[in-house]
Amino acid sequence: MTRSIDARVADVRRLLSAAEAVHRERARLVPAIAEASGLSREGVELGFESLEREATDEALRALVAAAGDAPHVHVILSANVFVAPLRALAIARAAAARVTVRPSARDPVLTHALVAAAGDAAIRVFDERDVAAPGAIASGEVHVYGRDETIAEVRARTSDRPGVIVRGHGAGLGLAVVTRSSEIHEVAGKIARDVVAFDQRGCLSPRLVVVEGDAARGRSFARALHEALTAWGERVPRGAALQGERAEATRWRSAVTFAGDVFAGADHAVAFAPAVAAWWPAPAGRHVQVVAHSDLEGLAAPLGPIAPFVVAVGTDDPARVCAALPPGLAGVRTMPLGRMQQPPLDGPVDRRRDMSTRARLR
Amino acid sequence: MTLDDAAAARAASDALHARVLSMIRAFELARPMPEPFDALAVDLSRFQHRRVPGYARLCAARGVDVRTITRAGQAPAVPADAFKLSRVFAFDDAEASVTFRTSGTTVGARGAHPMRHTRSYDAAALAFGRAMLAPDLPPQTPVIVIGPSAEEAPDSSLAHMCDLFAREMQGGGVGAAFVRAGAIDLAGLRARIGALRPGERAIVLATSFALVHMIDALAPELDGALALPAGSRVMQTGGFKGRAREVSADDLARDVARVFRIEPRWIAGEYGMTELSSQFWEATIVDPVARRGVYLEPPWARVVPVDPVSLDPVPEGEVGIARIEDLANVDSAFAVQTHDRVRRVHGGFELLGRAAGAAPRGCSIALDEMLSASSRIGP
Repeated sequence: MTRSIDARVADVRRLLSAAEAVHRERARLVPAIAEASGLSREGVELGFESLEREATDEALRALVAAAGDAPHVHVILSANVFVAPLRALAIARAAAARVTVRPSARDPVLTHALVAAAGDAAIRVFDERDVAAPGAIASGEVHVYGRDETIAEVRARTSDRPGVIVRGHGAGLGLAVVTRSSEIHEVAGKIARDVVAFDQRGCLSPRLVVVEGDAARGRSFARALHEALTAWGERVPRGAALQGERAEATRWRSAVTFAGDVFAGADHAVAFAPAVAAWWPAPAGRHVQVVAHSDLEGLAAPLGPIAPFVVAVGTDDPARVCAALPPGLAGVRTMPLGRMQQPPLDGPVDRRRDMSTRARLR
Repeated sequence: MTLDDAAAARAASDALHARVLSMIRAFELARPMPEPFDALAVDLSRFQHRRVPGYARLCAARGVDVRTITRAGQAPAVPADAFKLSRVFAFDDAEASVTFRTSGTTVGARGAHPMRHTRSYDAAALAFGRAMLAPDLPPQTPVIVIGPSAEEAPDSSLAHMCDLFAREMQGGGVGAAFVRAGAIDLAGLRARIGALRPGERAIVLATSFALVHMIDALAPELDGALALPAGSRVMQTGGFKGRAREVSADDLARDVARVFRIEPRWIAGEYGMTELSSQFWEATIVDPVARRGVYLEPPWARVVPVDPVSLDPVPEGEVGIARIEDLANVDSAFAVQTHDRVRRVHGGFELLGRAAGAAPRGCSIALDEMLSASSRIGP
C-alpha cells in the first residue's frame, strides 16, 4: 500500500466536502436529475437527503480497508440511483491514486457535479463507452455498477488484459422485518419513507416486508403502510415510470390480487397475502409485498430463495432478526427502519465478502 | 365446501367438460362446432368466478361482473404467476387426481396445476396433436419419446402428453421414453430405431433441449446417425431459457433433419404450458407451405396478443403478450395471461420469446430476473 490510510481517508473526506458543496447548490441540479432519473422534483429533493456528506473516522477507515489497493480504478456507472456516484468514487479514491469514472449515460449529472466540486486532480471523468478503448484502463481495477449483463459485457471486453480486475456491483433489493414488539403505525411510517426514496429503484429499497405475527397483524400493517404511502405520495409524488416498469407492475398486481388483498393508491400498492406458496418481493415503483410469519425462528426457509438478491435488511431489532436470517444472508447490512437509504459510508452497501460478484452501492 | 356444495360443483364442472369434449369430438369428425366459443367461455368464467376465490377477487378488482359479460375477451385472464403463488382450481384438494407443476424459478416457486381428471386435457391434446402431427399415419405407429416417462416425471404435463401419445398412437407406452435420470439413453434410442421395420414410419417427441443434447452426443457424425424411415415425424417443444447452450430454430431443425434423415417439413414445433390444457402446433407437417415459427390454435383455444400494461388486445399484426383462452381448462382458469410475446400472423401466431423485464433504471433488481424460468418441465 503506497499511500497511508490517513492519506486515503483525507482523499475521501475531500469528496465528502464536494458532496456538501453539491448539496448546497442542489436546487440548480434538481431539474436535470429529475429529467434523467424519472423522479419527481420532490423525489430528487428527498433523494438528496441520502447523499453522504459526513462520515466518522471509524466508518472511513472501514471503507479504506474494504476498498483494497490498486494503481488505477476505472468506475463504470450505469444503473444506479442518482446519489450512488459519491460512494463509488469514495471507494475508488480510497483504493487508488488515480481514478477515472464513466458516468451513467442516462444520469450523468451528479457525477459531473461531484468531480468538478472535488477539484481532485486524481479523479477524472472519462466518458468513453468502451472499456477496452485506448486510454481507458491498462492495469488496475474496473468497478462496474449496473445490471448483470453490463458486468458480463465489461468482463468480456477486458478478458484479454491480465492486469485488470473487474469488480461487479449488480442489482438487488431491500427486505424489512417488523418484529412483534414494533408498533404497527410507527414502523409503517418509517418503512414508507424507505420505499418512497428513489421510487424504490435502489437496491436498498424494501420491496418485501415480513411482519412477525398472525394474518390479522400482517393485514393491519399492510393497511397502515398503504395509509403512510398515501400521505407520502401527496408530499413526494411518484415520478414517471418506464413502459417496462409499468408492465412489471401490472403483472405483479394481477398475481397478488388473485392471491390476496391489495391496498392501492394513486402512486403505490401494498399487497398482503395470508397464505402464499412463495415470498416474492414486489417490483420497484412503490410496491410492497407484505407477508405475516408467526415467529422469527422460522424465517430462514421462506427467505432462503430470495437471499441472493437481498442487499440490506431493515429492522428495529437487528440482533434477533439477524439470528433468524438464512445462512445466505450472513453478514448482510442491517439498517434501522426509516434509515435504510442512509447507510454509513463504510464500504460498499453490500457487506458480503465476495466483492467481485456481490458488492453493491445502493 | 359442504358435501352438497362439492357435489354441485362437480356436476357443474362435469357439464362444462362435456361441452368442451363435444367441441373436440366435432373437430375430430370435421363437423361444425356445437356452440360458439364465447358461449362456453362466458359460462366457464362464471363457474370459475364462483368456485375460485382468487378469480372472484381479480374480477372485482377489474370491475368485471361476470353475470353480464357476453364475450370471452371481457373476462379477466388469470396471470400465470398466480399458479405459483396461490391455488387456481375449482375443487377440493382431495379431489385432484394429478397435479402438474412448472419448473422452479430463481426464487424457488413452482406453479401447480391440479386436475380433478384429465379427460378434457387428454382429448384436447390427442385430437389436435394427431391432426397436426400424424393425420395420415396408421394406428399403431411407433412413438419414440426423447424425454422422461410419465412414471419418472409424474408432475410433468409434457411427460403426461408424450405418454398419452405413445399409448394412443402406438397402442402402448411401455419402453417409449429414452431419457432416464436426466440423461439420454442413446444406446436404447439407437436400438429402438434400428428395430423399426423398413418403411415403418415413426413419431419422435422431444424437447428442443434434449435434441440439442442428442446432437452434441452424436457430433460430428450427424448425417443419418439415427435414420428413421421416410415420412417419420418429429415434434419439438420448449425453449432454452436457463440452459447452457442456445441454438436457433432453423439450425436445430436442420441438424434434426440430418440426424433422423428426414425432410425438415416433417418436424413440427409444439407450444404448451403447464397452466393450460391445450397445445398449439406449427403446421409444417400438414401444410407444405406453412412457415416455421407460426403456431395454430385448435378451435377450443385462442391466443390474443395484449398490451402488457393495459392488458387490452393490441391492433392486428402488432406484438403483445399472449393471453390464452383455453376452453379445456375447465377447473382452473379458462383464460391465462402469460409473458410470452406473440404476434398474430397467417391465421396463427408467432412466438417471439419472453417479454423483457423492466428496463434498467436504478439498481433495484427486476422481478423478471428473479422469476425467470421456463414454464413447462421437460428433460
